[in-house]
Amino acid sequence: MANRFCVSLTHAKDNQDKATVGFVVANAAVGSGKETLVFLSVEGVRLAQKGYADDIREEGFAPLRELMDNFAKAGGTIYVCSPCFKKRKLDENNLVAGAAIVGGAKLVEFLSEGSPCVSY
Amino acid sequence: MTSSTPAPLAADTQWDAGDLGCGDLVLELRLRMEAMKPGQLLQLTARDPGARADIPAWCRMTGHTLIAEQHPVYQIRRKEN
Repeated sequence: MANRFCVSLTHAKDNQDKATVGFVVANAAVGSGKETLVFLSVEGVRLAQKGYADDIREEGFAPLRELMDNFAKAGGTIYVCSPCFKKRKLDENNLVAGAAIVGGAKLVEFLSEGSPCVSY
Repeated sequence: MTSSTPAPLAADTQWDAGDLGCGDLVLELRLRMEAMKPGQLLQLTARDPGARADIPAWCRMTGHTLIAEQHPVYQIRRKEN
């Protein structure tokens, strides 16, 4: 059984349901003792900006900000797609806890070492 | 193998990749490394913020040796084969 788990998340406020469920699943993985990565790309990179997720609250789920904070506190890692981030002219000095801007090689390395990946 | 200690060695080749990042950066980097002789040293300048994580990861995956890194400058020694 792989000891790693990846959640690929491509949405933010354009699909708050998917953005929220992605972190719910990520928290399930990190809570199960997996080395867990959330890969934010496309619109999902906006979630890496402090304050952005503060008003995202899907019915039936904890607020996204709380889910993300819990993920970081549990040791989860967030990779932020560099070209997606640059395209949207976001601020690399205003990242949420646990987030790092990376290019494709870093994601390829994580997955190539053996990791299931679920996409939202 | 990687090292975080800057080592101002004389490079055989220098490449300023500017703001190139992600797949564009590592694909061009691969071609440039393949054009070099085994053991030669490339000094890369890569300003993309993702390079901090990507260049060490790329070296681990490809077997080239990251001699020194002090973003945005990286020194990479080409592998033997």
